[in-house]
Amino acid sequence: MNKTQCFKAAGAVAIVAMLTAAGPALGAGQSPMLDALVQSGEIPPLEERLPANPLVLDAESIGQYGGTWRMGMNGGGDNGLIAKTVAYEGLVRFDREWQTVIPNLAESWEANAEATEYTFKLREGVKWSDGAPFTSADIAFTVEMYQDPEYAASSWIDNINNPATVEVIDDLTFKFKFNRPNGMLMDEMASVNGIHITSLQKAYCSQFHPSYNENAAADAEAAGFSSWALHLQDRCAWGWETIRFANPDLPTLYAWVLDQPLTANASRVTWKRNPYYWKVDSEGNQLPYIDRLDMRVSQGGVEELTLAALNGEIDFQERHIATNVNKPLFFDGQEQGGYHLGAVIPSASNTLVFQLNFSHDDPVKRELFQNRDFRIGISHAIDREEIVDLVFTGQGEPYQVAPRPQSPFYDEELAKQYTEFNPELAIEHLEAAGLTEMNGDGVRLMSDGQPVRITVDVISALRPEWIDILEIMQLQLAAVGVEIELNNIDRTLFYEKRPSNDYDAQVWAGDGGLEVVQEPRYYFPFSDESVWAYRWAQWFNGTRPEIAEEPADWAQEQMELYRQIRSSSDPDERADLMRQILAITKEQFPVIGVSLMPDSYSIIRNNLRNAPETMFNAWLFPTPAPMDPVTWYFE
Amino acid sequence: MVGFIVRRFIAMLLTLLAVSIVAFAIIQLPPGDFLTSYIAQLASTGDQVDPRVIENLRAQYGLGEPFYVQYWKWITGVVQGNFGHSFEWKRPVWELIWGRIGNSILLEGLAVIVMWFVALPIGIYAAVRKYSLGDYLSTILGFIGLAVPNFLFALILMYLAYTWFGTTLGGLFSPEFEMARWSLPRVWDFLSHAWAPVLVLATAGTAELIRILRANLLDEMKKPYVVTARAKGLPEWKVILKYPVRLALNPLISTIGWLLPALVSGSVIVSVVMNLPTAGPMLLRSLTTQDMYLAGAIILLLSVLTVIGTLISDILLALIDPRIRYGAR
Repeated sequence: MNKTQCFKAAGAVAIVAMLTAAGPALGAGQSPMLDALVQSGEIPPLEERLPANPLVLDAESIGQYGGTWRMGMNGGGDNGLIAKTVAYEGLVRFDREWQTVIPNLAESWEANAEATEYTFKLREGVKWSDGAPFTSADIAFTVEMYQDPEYAASSWIDNINNPATVEVIDDLTFKFKFNRPNGMLMDEMASVNGIHITSLQKAYCSQFHPSYNENAAADAEAAGFSSWALHLQDRCAWGWETIRFANPDLPTLYAWVLDQPLTANASRVTWKRNPYYWKVDSEGNQLPYIDRLDMRVSQGGVEELTLAALNGEIDFQERHIATNVNKPLFFDGQEQGGYHLGAVIPSASNTLVFQLNFSHDDPVKRELFQNRDFRIGISHAIDREEIVDLVFTGQGEPYQVAPRPQSPFYDEELAKQYTEFNPELAIEHLEAAGLTEMNGDGVRLMSDGQPVRITVDVISALRPEWIDILEIMQLQLAAVGVEIELNNIDRTLFYEKRPSNDYDAQVWAGDGGLEVVQEPRYYFPFSDESVWAYRWAQWFNGTRPEIAEEPADWAQEQMELYRQIRSSSDPDERADLMRQILAITKEQFPVIGVSLMPDSYSIIRNNLRNAPETMFNAWLFPTPAPMDPVTWYFE
Repeated sequence: MVGFIVRRFIAMLLTLLAVSIVAFAIIQLPPGDFLTSYIAQLASTGDQVDPRVIENLRAQYGLGEPFYVQYWKWITGVVQGNFGHSFEWKRPVWELIWGRIGNSILLEGLAVIVMWFVALPIGIYAAVRKYSLGDYLSTILGFIGLAVPNFLFALILMYLAYTWFGTTLGGLFSPEFEMARWSLPRVWDFLSHAWAPVLVLATAGTAELIRILRANLLDEMKKPYVVTARAKGLPEWKVILKYPVRLALNPLISTIGWLLPALVSGSVIVSVVMNLPTAGPMLLRSLTTQDMYLAGAIILLLSVLTVIGTLISDILLALIDPRIRYGAR
């Protein structure tokens, strides 16, 4: 079933209208909540608040104003929830099928043939939540801040390999220029990373920077900060940084503005509608329909949140609570709780990616881990059906680290190769890799006479099922003479071990099942998350030249292809190049997968309208925000 | 008596100094610092942080300095009432923790009171009516309370409240009272929420107290002075309450100092499960994110409370037991 069919089958997802030529009547309606404010003169009337050309969202039905969308945050550091519900307002965005890039704050754009210059035109009359106009000057200021080394933010704007420079043409028109071709810029800007460029208002944030305010350092000190940089980061934090949502004074372009901010002691984070929001429905009514958001903040556990959801105190949520184990509970509670379950398709391809360190310090292990036969042998020794049955109650199927069936890059052979459980075949391949001898304990011996013992780093706190899977794999691999040892560690240590090259193997989930071109970490040595070839990835990215290693020829070939993708402005050509990369991945089989990440689910209150019955769940495509929660309403 | 308190007080300050060094050292023991854990968090969502940005941040936070320099900066600040800034929240630590510590003391204070009110009568009863039906019942209940982990009891309570009454137990206030000032309705709202965590926190301790009191009392009741008192015709309640109970309380009072830290550390999981804004979850989070000044301040304050608790129990002991008063020269 491909992506389109899947959505048709669900049959409930509306089609997003882009800019309609026949514009609706402007200023047709606003929330009753704002009427009093207009009458008292606190805010101007609707037609003066809306842009000349507001973004029109066509939803399944025209809604009514009012209500509070209740959801839950997990612990203090759950800024991701806000990024995925409120903060996804970049210059452009993805359509609901995650296929094409469509306008958002920018009305139109064009790129030159070399993909080094992009010209954007902003919507005229869009206003920040404080009523000040949003212009090219804000974009230029944001670029300046991101590129200031004292301002701690990293993104595509200040990417050391290809930083953006901005040229302001007029109030509404500006150009991004790059030294090297940047063919994937639009995909990057439509993803969650597009939030960066629209996150700072010049008028407000410039007061904290010494270039604009000579007293910035003194002001910072008066506010209790040791430097202006810390003060700036506190008041005007980047993109979706936690501390950003602790400042209710920061002007934004979101549909809702902060009411009770996210502080260390907040038990709720609440939002109320932004009177200056710049999107309308097809009849010209100002969005959002829902007046308020209420995010209850848990103290780090999800038990209360789970019960609240069962009790009908959550209106729409997938994050945190939709675990495999809870599914029967939520299924049975539908009637009592007044909600139903929606389908959620994860973007991750695999439940567990087994990554052997190709650049191991021990030359014997390095040679062994780079040996394709060794990896094939391990793969055939895993009884994936047993793992799916025991750990995932039968949900999912044996799968390699490969694009998901919903992806246009789906390749059955890549997804299924070597997944057959066959110990004889496994032993054949292990012997072909030179592991012919065994010691008294039945463990195979490497070329230096040492037994094959692989320590696998894992963070069970992140996904408890990893331990379950690995313990089963441990028994299965022991049966063919390969010993793995589980090393359950903290996340910080997990990351520290990478640059110091102090690991045999690490496991993680299979990101990149849908976002194949943007997140190819397992298909070739792409980023720091390509743990299997961390040092090769450094060679590719140039971030830590002191530890970079020259990759194998096939990986260099892939890197070259990816460079071509980056410099191509033609989506079809990029897809074709990506398929060539995947063909090499299939041939080389760098990492071992276990099973397809099973579908998840969302809790949808029965009186919530226009909410998606089917959606993807990803980070780059920060659902549910691309499903336009501003058009949801309560009946 | 005054000399006794002064000597105790000096010992207290020295202990605190030692604790502050050990606490600071332990917080620094895990590999990395706040920034590495911050980067790990960003990286798991696919963000790549430029190494130059990290270097700048490290300098801004003063994280690159040697241990003793960082400690000296911190402790001189603490003495002046400045506990430093939380890295994660970019706010003065004191501002973040006072409300939490207050909640902890309030909740756990209530738990202690409930514990004593339930445990004392039952313990005395169980000792006086040894091997009666009531003794067996309280023993059974006591051991169940002791054996069931607090967080499990909390989960069961929450689940039963959901299935039977359709309510979600958790938190300390209803949304409308969360930001309000203290008032009678707010107190009522607090009590209607707090009974569950207080019950959970009190159970294990209650069982323990019942057993200790019963055992102590049984020892005392065999002693000749009890027999004498009885022979002299004192009413039974006076015989029991005036002498053996007073002596049996000794071990209870001497452990007041440990109650608070034990409750705070024991309540971390309960607080996480029942979503209570106490110091426990904040300590847990600050340790995992390596927000060292925040974690350090919480640990230091808990030690202050422990030490003060010990001082109080010393004074109380001296008050109720002349042997201690006069023995301490």
